[in-house]
Formats: sequence, structure tokens, C-alpha cells
Amino acid sequence: MSTTDHTGPPDIAIVGWAQSPMLRQTELSEGQLLVRVITDALESIGLTRADVDFNCAGSCDYISGQPFSFVQNIDAIGAWPPKRDSHVEMDGAWALYEAWLRLRLGDLEVAVVTGSGRSSTANPHLIYPMEMDPFFLAPLGTDAASLAALQARALIDSGGVTERQMAEVAARSRRDAEANPHAQVSGSADPDELLAEDYVRSPLRRHDLPPITDGACAVVLATGAKARELTARPAWIRGIAHRSELHYPGLRDLTQSPSTRAAAEAAGVDRGEVDVAEIHAAFSHEDPLLRRALGLAESTVVNPSGGPLAANPIMATGLVRIAEAAAQIANHAKHRTVAHATSGPCLQQNLVCVLEEGS
Amino acid sequence: MAPDNTNTIQFPYRRSLGPVFGAFMNGLTQRRITGVRCGERVLVPPLEWNPESGEELDHELVEVGPVGTVTSWTWVTEPTVQHPLDRPFAFALIRLDGADTTLLHAVDAGSPDALRAGTRVAPRWRAQRSGRIDDIECFVPGEEPEIPEDDAGAPAEPVTMMDFGASITYRETVSPNALRAIDASRSQHLIGFRCPVCGRTYTGGRGFCPVDAVELGPDHEVELPQTGTVTNFTIVTPVQYPGQTETEPFVRAMVLLDTRHDATAGPGGGDRSSDVILTYQPLLDLRAEDVRVGMRVSARWQSPEGPAPPSGGMGGTIGYLAGWAPSGERDVDDPDLVNRIF
Repeated sequence: MSTTDHTGPPDIAIVGWAQSPMLRQTELSEGQLLVRVITDALESIGLTRADVDFNCAGSCDYISGQPFSFVQNIDAIGAWPPKRDSHVEMDGAWALYEAWLRLRLGDLEVAVVTGSGRSSTANPHLIYPMEMDPFFLAPLGTDAASLAALQARALIDSGGVTERQMAEVAARSRRDAEANPHAQVSGSADPDELLAEDYVRSPLRRHDLPPITDGACAVVLATGAKARELTARPAWIRGIAHRSELHYPGLRDLTQSPSTRAAAEAAGVDRGEVDVAEIHAAFSHEDPLLRRALGLAESTVVNPSGGPLAANPIMATGLVRIAEAAAQIANHAKHRTVAHATSGPCLQQNLVCVLEEGS
Repeated sequence: MAPDNTNTIQFPYRRSLGPVFGAFMNGLTQRRITGVRCGERVLVPPLEWNPESGEELDHELVEVGPVGTVTSWTWVTEPTVQHPLDRPFAFALIRLDGADTTLLHAVDAGSPDALRAGTRVAPRWRAQRSGRIDDIECFVPGEEPEIPEDDAGAPAEPVTMMDFGASITYRETVSPNALRAIDASRSQHLIGFRCPVCGRTYTGGRGFCPVDAVELGPDHEVELPQTGTVTNFTIVTPVQYPGQTETEPFVRAMVLLDTRHDATAGPGGGDRSSDVILTYQPLLDLRAEDVRVGMRVSARWQSPEGPAPPSGGMGGTIGYLAGWAPSGERDVDDPDLVNRIF
């Protein structure tokens, strides 16, 4: 996707990022969360808001409970003098895609991307159907957990995962999350004890579901020379693509994720070894399903941050994956990492981003 | 004082069904479940377009089911108000006989033990049907559809529209700055927060300066004057949407507070960055048709007894500020006032 041809579009790297504390309920407004993460992300590389050429935000009015809530969020970037700004009613990972595309034009150098959401404001089970097909799904109140459970059962019945493996994914997530200061759910857990719990939506138990999280994330992108000037180890975006499939789950084979597979192929995941993958597996059964669709090898470390089972700030969860994958290159000497984000019922739409070290 | 603002938002949508969804929904009113042919396959629910090629599909639907086979299911132990049943039930993907895809619907199975992949289920029809997916109340285990004795039949006219309504209650934390503003209003004080960088002053408890992205707190609190000038206004003729409590035309005005007393920064001149303008303020003791740009007004307060009024997000009053009433002073004659609205 990217190019080293210097007459073509510029190379683009992730050079800075910041996350808010991930909490069951924050006392801060979404705007205040964004003020802090944008300031932190820029200060980490010695920039100010005056250095930002373009910003793109991902958030959701249904979650905020306010029409045009993103207009208030724009205040967080520092609205004067006027800036080039855009918004997607999507996870911040898709805002990053738009910012990447915008920087590819070559006339700008620095972009800030945000994702933000406060799921604590209302019952997520009631909000989710509002975003579903309004004719066949929303009138039945099809919540995210029920939809995920239908996919989990299909996967179990096809031999793609077992309930024990799902409990092991959750236990691993909590253990890994102990080293993540942003994690909401962490600690040691015995899969046997997890399996003794009741179902929330069979075959899903509490540990198979993500927590309800308030939080925000900001990521700074920069082009070629600017990126090298700002940081010693830019995380270069060597491929980024997103693909979508049919919305209605009954029209799909839920044991596969062909849109993840297609996005991974377009982003070039298989063009080299993947040291670490941060994947948007908000439900435990999605972990093995996505590993297969992404074509990850056994040697790839998946979700060392704990992943979405440790903190799930809806509208920022995917962007956090990209920030964590970039941190692996910048701070943990990894060479090549992959980030994945998803949106829609039963992994309907998927985005894959390949990051590499390099000068 | 409650630290939360609770708002219930209703989402009343009315959507046109179009030829394909319309045919499917009208089929339901006649207790028929239908799908669309797509090459060798039958898709249920139907699509208008071939998902592979994008070609338009034939609008003639074919009947399927009504009995089908569960391919996947989950058990809902605690139904939400939006779910079709108010007791524990299953959501299932159901492959209706003759269909190549699955329909997502509820199954009233009594117990999760009654379900597995392969369980046969049949629809339980509602007596009154209006062309919605929940004209099927749910499915039930077995081969026999359930038809109520008081079946009302299909509506006389074909259904072309579908109503959808949801109601969601949001609980928003009231920010510390907003709480301070509401507290001050209890004793009839109007406060703002002044940005230490640009000097602009914000009312309503905003947590940061949007120009400089600097957070604002108790250190930045300033007392504001309670007199001002109407710079612009609108007269709202209320439309009776759900939740509307107004019935007569009313005024919402922009009020420029008298924050500047020196000559160099008087009305019409000087640096406007220190303007403090309250947006969308109610005007009291005034007929709507008598409001004018330039009118001098002063604050009116409501009793601090009783519950704290909700604090405004975009515009509106703050705490116990009831609105603004004409002060009787001479109007300010400044043709540029009308532009000062934010």
C-alpha cells in the first residue's frame, strides 16, 4: 500500500499517542477526555496544537446521547485558528484511515486522530440496536452480546473454538493486562473457575464479554522527514485497508471473517513476520477466529496489552489497538506489528494496519 | 444536589419499506414468510440487490417455511425492554424450509435445554399484524405454527411504511464547573470561567477553553454582571414533537453581558475576545413580537427551592437563572450588535 518512491505519496508514520484512564465511569466530559489525550499525545513529541495540519475524530452520537456531539468534541483540538477537520461516526481506527489518506496527498505533515466514547451514559444493550438494520434487527432489540453469542455458538459447533479455549483467552487477557496501566480488568484467573460461572448469553459467560468502559485515545501521524525529525523510532504504516461484508448476520457464514482476510491481504500482513498483533477481539471467541483470518503464525504475540477484554472504550477500542501496536515498535524494539479494528454485528467490517520499524 | 443529569431520549422513526422489504412485510401480515431468489439461492430476509454482483433482484418473492431449523442460538436470561419477550428466551438463527440463509428471531423455548442446533421451530403469529418483523411474536419449538383465535387478518390496505420507536435514558455526569455554576445560581450569582491564556470567559460550566484547549477550574472563576443587551433573537413556533412542552411562540435571545465598562472597549468597539454572550436565553415579561435587537435586559431568578433545573449544554439557562426581562433602559443603537451572537 505504501511506497518508497519519493515522487509518489509520502510515507506516513505513527509518531505519538496517548490514552485516557479506562474507567467504568469517568467524571470527565468526552471533550475533557479529548483535551487531555490530545495534549498528552502532542507533548510526548514536543508538538503543540498549532503544529497540527489536520484532525479526524471518531465518536458516536447514540452513545453520547446528544445529536452532533462531535461538534463539541472539536473544541478539544483548539478550534482557533480554524483547522482542517473531519469526523467519522466510526471507531477512531477509521478516523486514522481517513487521516492517513489525507496525508497521502502530500501537502500536509501532521495529523491528529482521536476516538472517544463514554458507554457509561446509558444501557449499551439498548443503544446497540439503534445502530443495526432498522427493519429486521433493531425491532427485535438485537444487542451486541446476543449477536456475538450467536457467532460464538456457530464457531463452537464448527469446531473453531471451545468454551475452555475461550476461558483461556480471557485468563490470558487479564494476566497480560496486569502490565498495562490503562487496563480496566486485570489479574490472575483460573479457566476452571471461569468456566464454573453462569452464562450471560450462552455460550458466553461474563469473562467472554468486554467491560463497559469510558475512555479516549489520540494518535499523531506525520509524513516522511517530519516523522523522522519528531521521533527516533517512527512506526511506519506499511499497509492499511478496510473491508466490509453483508450487515445481516443470517446472510453470512459466521465461522469465517472474509472481510478481515481480504483487508489483511490488501494491507500485506503476509509480506513478513508479525512480532505482535493487537486485535479488536471484544468477545473471547473472536480471538481464534481473527487469528486465522489475519493469517497469524503461532509465534505472533497477540494482545499483550490485554486487548478489548481488558478495556473496551467503544469508538476508541480499535484506535487503541493501533496505538498499542505502534508502542510495540517505538518502546519494545519490535520490528513489525499488526493492528486490527472491527465494527458492526459479528465482525461485519474490519480494518487491518501493518506497522514497521525503519528509517 | 444530584450529580447526574438524566435525560430520556425518544427515537421515533418512520421509514418507507420499498418494493422488496414491503412485499416481505405485507407477506407477514398475511402470515406468509417470503424470500428473494438470487441465482440458485433463496435469501431470507430478502435483499433488493444481489450481494455478490450488485444487480437488482426480481421483486417477486417466493414463500418459505414457515417451519425451520435452528442453526445457532443463545439464551437471554434477562430480557431488555426492547426484546420481543419479557421472560427468558432464545435468540436464534433459523433456516426456514426452502431458504438458503437464516432469519434471526426469538424462540420461546421455556428453557435452554429445549434448544440445540437442529431444533425445529415454527412461528407464533400475533393477532394484530402491521407489517413488521415482530408480526411474528417469536418462534416456538415444533412443527406447528401458532395462530391466535382472535386473528385479525391482514390490514385492508397494503403496508408501505414502518414505524420504529426506541426510548433510551441517558445519565450524564454534571461536571464540577457546572456544579459550581448551579451552586452560585442558588444565591443569584452568575459565574463564568475565564481562560488564563486568551481571557475569554465561558458560562455554563464548560471545562476548557475551546480556543486554547486549556482546562478551566475554580482558579478561573469570575463573577459576571446580571445586565446585558439583546444582540439577536429568534421566535420559535413550537412544533409538537414528543417531549415538547411549549405551545405558544416564544423568544430565544442572545444576551451580551455588560462586562466591559471602559470606553475603549465599549459596545461596537475594542477587542471582542472578552465578549460574554449567553446563547438561546428565554426572555420574560415580554410579548414575543416586542423583542428587539439592542433591548436592555436584566437577569431574573427562580426560587432555589425545589430540584436543580437541568444545566444547558448548548445554550439555555444556568441553574436557577430563569431568563432575562426588559430593564426599561433605552435601547443600545449599534447596527453591528446583531453580528455578536457567540
